[in-house]
Parts: sequence; structure tokens; C-alpha cells
Amino acid sequence: MDRRAALASIVGVLGANIFAPLARAIAYQPNPVINTGAPEIIFTPAQRALVTALSERILPTSDTPGAIAAGVPEYIEHMLGDWAITDERATIFDGLAAIDARSMADYKKPAVKASAAQQDALLTLAMNGELPGGTPFFEAFRQLVITGYYTSEIGITQEREYLPVPGEYDGAYPYAKVKRIFSS
Amino acid sequence: MAATDRFDAIVIGSGVSGGWAAKELTEKGLRVLMVDRGRMVEHGEDYPFDGKSAYDIPARGRMPAALAKSDYFALNGWVSPATQPFFINDRLNPYDYDAPNKFNWVRPSVVGGKSLTWGRWSFRWSQADFEANKKEGVGTDWPIRYDDVAPWYSYVENYIGVSGARENLPYLPDSEFMPPFPMNVAEKWLKERLENEFPGRKLINARLSNITEDKPEQNRTRCQKRAQCDRGCSFGAYFSTQAVTLPAARTTGRLTLRSDNWVTNLEYDPAQKRVTGVRMVDANTGQVEVVQARMVFLCASAMSSLHILLNSRPASSERSYFHSNGALGSAVMDHIFRVGVSGDIPGMSEFVEYGRRPGGVYVPRFRNLGAEDLPFKRGYGFQGGAGRQASAPEGFGLSMKHGMREYGPWRFTMGAFGECLPYEDNRVMLNHSKTDRFGTPLLRFDVRFRDNEIRMMDDALEQGMLMLRKAGLRNVTGGRGEHVPGEAIHEMGGARMGHDPATSVLNKWNQAHDAANLFITDGAQMASVSCVNPSLTFMAMTARAADHAVKQMQAGVI
Repeated sequence: MDRRAALASIVGVLGANIFAPLARAIAYQPNPVINTGAPEIIFTPAQRALVTALSERILPTSDTPGAIAAGVPEYIEHMLGDWAITDERATIFDGLAAIDARSMADYKKPAVKASAAQQDALLTLAMNGELPGGTPFFEAFRQLVITGYYTSEIGITQEREYLPVPGEYDGAYPYAKVKRIFSS
Repeated sequence: MAATDRFDAIVIGSGVSGGWAAKELTEKGLRVLMVDRGRMVEHGEDYPFDGKSAYDIPARGRMPAALAKSDYFALNGWVSPATQPFFINDRLNPYDYDAPNKFNWVRPSVVGGKSLTWGRWSFRWSQADFEANKKEGVGTDWPIRYDDVAPWYSYVENYIGVSGARENLPYLPDSEFMPPFPMNVAEKWLKERLENEFPGRKLINARLSNITEDKPEQNRTRCQKRAQCDRGCSFGAYFSTQAVTLPAARTTGRLTLRSDNWVTNLEYDPAQKRVTGVRMVDANTGQVEVVQARMVFLCASAMSSLHILLNSRPASSERSYFHSNGALGSAVMDHIFRVGVSGDIPGMSEFVEYGRRPGGVYVPRFRNLGAEDLPFKRGYGFQGGAGRQASAPEGFGLSMKHGMREYGPWRFTMGAFGECLPYEDNRVMLNHSKTDRFGTPLLRFDVRFRDNEIRMMDDALEQGMLMLRKAGLRNVTGGRGEHVPGEAIHEMGGARMGHDPATSVLNKWNQAHDAANLFITDGAQMASVSCVNPSLTFMAMTARAADHAVKQMQAGVI
């Protein structure tokens, strides 16, 4: 896949525009290195718990593992901590706060303690723009979850089928023979 | 390298052209020093992300946008953690332009140059391409024609392996082909519809320097359909210096390769009209050395070669030795690039793709081949392909997850590459008030697209969408982005070949008018740029020039 086709492909896979988190403080690094070690801690324990719960509601465990097993919450914290600038983090933080506030109003408990059905209802409100900052939060958060999931080992090798070295190309391969669609 | 070493030739740069120069010159018996500013990358050993899955690439392949913008801005976002090791840090290695006339100068940081990350689309020029300047009275005439280069195209194609299908098109001559990468079922459908709706227009297989048959004598294995070319390919399935020309040059025992050395300028004797030395700075130690040889092949990549030439000047002067006629640095070109169209191909939902090809299909130039009355000169071609991606997410939860287990429709996307005319005042020069970390004045760009290029882009967008619509595609979309010159990474010209020493830098053998022992065989040589991808032409021209240079050396002329 060359750069001329890459963007179309990524957008196709993720089904949305790419959330553009930014790195911090890189201007001071003479030889920039991408952090692959421990992520920057940016969530409070309560925020982390809510991100974890909502990730799993967006990509739940079914016959394949869900977002938590695929490490999506850690991926999100890594992207926001090491990759994002303040404005982009704010979309997520504000959305989490709005969901919590609505949960307190409707269910008298923080969203992380709400039932799965109640959490789904809160996410639906966000998706439909019925919470302050709901739609931008939902779009950005869902995209982080999807990106984290389908680029994880579980997403690539269990939810989808991975062909590390296809060897051959067949441009008319029967869909009927495809058990899980191929990772790109 | 011992100080007592003696070289017959110095090759500056180790990319597509430099690698070919080193191979040809060493195989003809010369002792060659090849010098590159980049760090060493050994084939297979130094491809850290070759074969890695997305989850093994830092940040899953997402480059932090701020880092891309601050340190790799010339790539305009097209850099990932997997390809970053092959590109130069723009912030540490600045160049110069005035804000309205931005130039995206994409530079590699490794031995092998852009041959490791190039697009690999490989086409011959046609006779019409070589004749266009003269016929239209644009720029300067090429001193060569198709027949001068044709045998050299065959020579390099047979060696590197080019996949493609024979078409017998006069405006896109066939190469010596390995079998093509096949079209998929949706592309075959589109080919039939498009060619019926638009008589004379063609949709053909990509022509790629990716091999479809093994080359055991070169330790190369045919393409494995991974589509990860730009991370480096341990199979050696695409042409790169590392996989193809460097092993050949090393086998002779006559190659010395020096990485991490920046050539700042050539030393020159105006009385004898000869290059007398190559000055280089060790990037790690700062040590300066001037190395001598009987001749020099300058293959540093078009703009870097111009930078070296412009900085080859008397200590007391800001004017280059090679700037006697004003042609040096003039008529810099790039291809137009930022036009893209796409649409859904209906039906064929019972088929998908297995495997990932390195390229798809090509719509060769169809404009201004005859006596058309169009508001622009020259033409453009489209590169593209059809594929199916997972369905877009709907909502969230189990229904979204399971919905994304289905493929969406076939979608076809293609983008145009078009010809830019040679304008004398599209030029590069030195900015003597700013210097880089080696003390060299920065290269300054004053290059922009003109009406002809803008009108061509408009036409490409209109015709691209029209072709897809009339062929029966749905949800046809198209766009024309702002095009910053350099972005096609096909920057060329500035030391053009020509008949007349008063208006050109090189003669018909890539030999400098001002120095019989200097050959320039990268993109700087181009007097026009066709609309096809240029690297194959650089290879053929380099092999041709090397043959001539060695004959002249044997005859005692050099």
C-alpha cells in the first residue's frame, strides 16, 4: 500500500475521519523518539474506570474478545497522554464529565456504577447530541476504540483474519470462503 | 578508507541513479567510491518493521501529528513510525522558500535513498515526450530521442524486473515485462465499461518494479503480496539499491561505500575545465575531506545535486562555476498530483480480494495526443485500484461489531499525475544569509505551478469523475487539493540536458558542458518531465551515461 492509497484505505477501515492526537513537548527533543514504553498517566482512577467500561460497551465481548481484552483502554490513555494536545483531550474529558453528570441526574450514581443498559442509554444520548459536547465526544471516542481494537493483536488475528504473507493474489476470491474478513 | 586509496570514479548519492552508476562503473572495471549523506542500511538486516503486524509498530503506525508537522513537514503527513527511519529530519536540515511559494522537499536519510520508499510505478517515456518541447516551442529541446534510450530501457528492465502487460500503445511504449499483477474482478468490469464509453482511453495493469517471478541469481524472491514495500522488503521483491544494484557493485570487489558523509561541493579547475575533487563532511565527526578521482557521477537526487553544484564556487564568489550561462537551477519541475476521484462499483459482491498487491491499474495519458483543442498543453495519467473495506461502523455495541464483519462495496479510487512545463523562472538558488549545520548556504526554492498546471488539474478532476460516472460507478466523489510543488516527489530539472551549451548544463551523454569528467544522471538532467513516473528513465539514462563515460575514459578523453 503506497502513500497514495493509504489514506483512502485507513478511512475505509475505520469508517471515520482520523482523530488527530498530537504529541507533547516534542519541540524540545533533538532526536524525536516515539514513546513505546509506559504511557503518560492522564486519567484519574474514576475516569480510567469509565473509559474502560464505555470501551467495552462500544466493542463488547461476544464470540470474540472485546475492547478490554484487546487493551483498548490502555491504548486510549496512551494516545491521549502521549499523542494529544489539550484541546483534543478536552473533547474526551468533557464528554466523560457530561456522561457522568447525566448519570447522576438520571440514575443517582456515577456512570461507571450504572448498569450496562444504562451506560448504553448514556452513550446513545451522546451519539444523538443530547448531551453537552456529546456528538464530538462520541465520534472521537468511538474512533479511538475502533482504531485501538482493529489494530490490536486480538482485532487483527481473532476478530479478523490476518495474512502476514499471502504469497498469492486472487482478485475474484469467493466471499463464501471468507470466515472472517481479512485484516489489511 | 585509507588515504592511499585511489578511485577511478566517485558516485555521489546511492539512490536509484547512484546505485546504477556504482553497479555499471564497477562492473566495467572501475574502482568506485560511492558516498551518501545517509546512514547505512543493509538489505534485510536494517528493515526494522519488515513483516511486522500493525500491533508491533509504535503507536500502531500512527505518527503523532505534531511530530510529523515539526520534523517531517515535507512529507505533509505521509510519514508513519514504520517509514520514519528512512526519511530526513526537516527541522534539523532546513531549506528555504518564501511563504506563498512553499515547496515540500522530501528527502531520505539512508543509503539507498528514496529507492527504499519509492512508489515503484515504472514507465518508459515515448517519442512524443522527447519531442514535445521542440514541437511546442516550450523550454529547450532534448538532444536525444526515444531510440537513444530504448536499448537502455531494455537493459535495466531485464535486470531489475518490471511487471506489466504489453499494450502496444504508441504514447506508452511497452517494457520488457514479467507477468503483470492481475486485475481484480471489479477492475476488469471497469476496464470494459470505461473503454467502451471512451474510445481511445485505456485502463491497463500497473507497471511496477515489483517482480512476479523469482530472480535466484540476484537472491530475490517474487512479490509475496504483503503491500508493505516502504518498510523495506527482505524478499528483495521490489527494486531498491539494497536489493539490486548494491549487491552487484559489491560483488566486483571494486566498490567502496561511505555512508554518513555530506558532500558540500565539487572542487573545480576552470583552466582545465575539470572537477578536481569532492569535498565531504563526516556527519558524525565533522571531519572534512576532499577526495579525488578521474571522474564524478553526481546522483544526489535532483535538488540535492543542484545544491552541490550551486555551492561549487570560488571562495570569493557567490556564483557557481557551473552557472556560466544561467541555466543551472532553472526550469525546476514536479508532477501535478493532488487530484483524486473515487466511486463504488456495483455488484460482484460475491467476490473479495485475497492478498494485497503492490499496485493496481493505470489509465494512460489520453489528452493532447492528437489535434485536440484544449486549454492546456501535455497531459496526465491516473493510477488507482479497486478494493473492498469493512463496512462503516453504525452506532455502537454488538450490532456495530458484527456489522463491521461484512465487507462494504467495491470501491475504486484513482489519482492523477500530470506534466508540469519547464518555466525558466521556476528556480532554486542558494540563500547566502542562512547556512546549514555544515556551513553550506541553504537551498532556496522559488517554484510554483502556473495556469497550464491548474487548468490540467481542473480537467483531470472533471474527466476523472466523468469516466467513473459514465462507466456506471455510484457515489462518485472527487477532489482537488492544494498542490505544493515537491509533493509528488518527482522534483526534476535544473541541470537540463540540451544541444546548446548556452542554454543547458549537460550534453546528450549527461556530461557537463563545463567539465568533461562530470556526469549528472539523476532528475536534475530533465528538460521536461512527461507525465509518467520518472525513476525508470533515470536508471536507463544512468546506464547509458556510464557506458559512454567508460568508453571516453578508455579512449583517454577523460
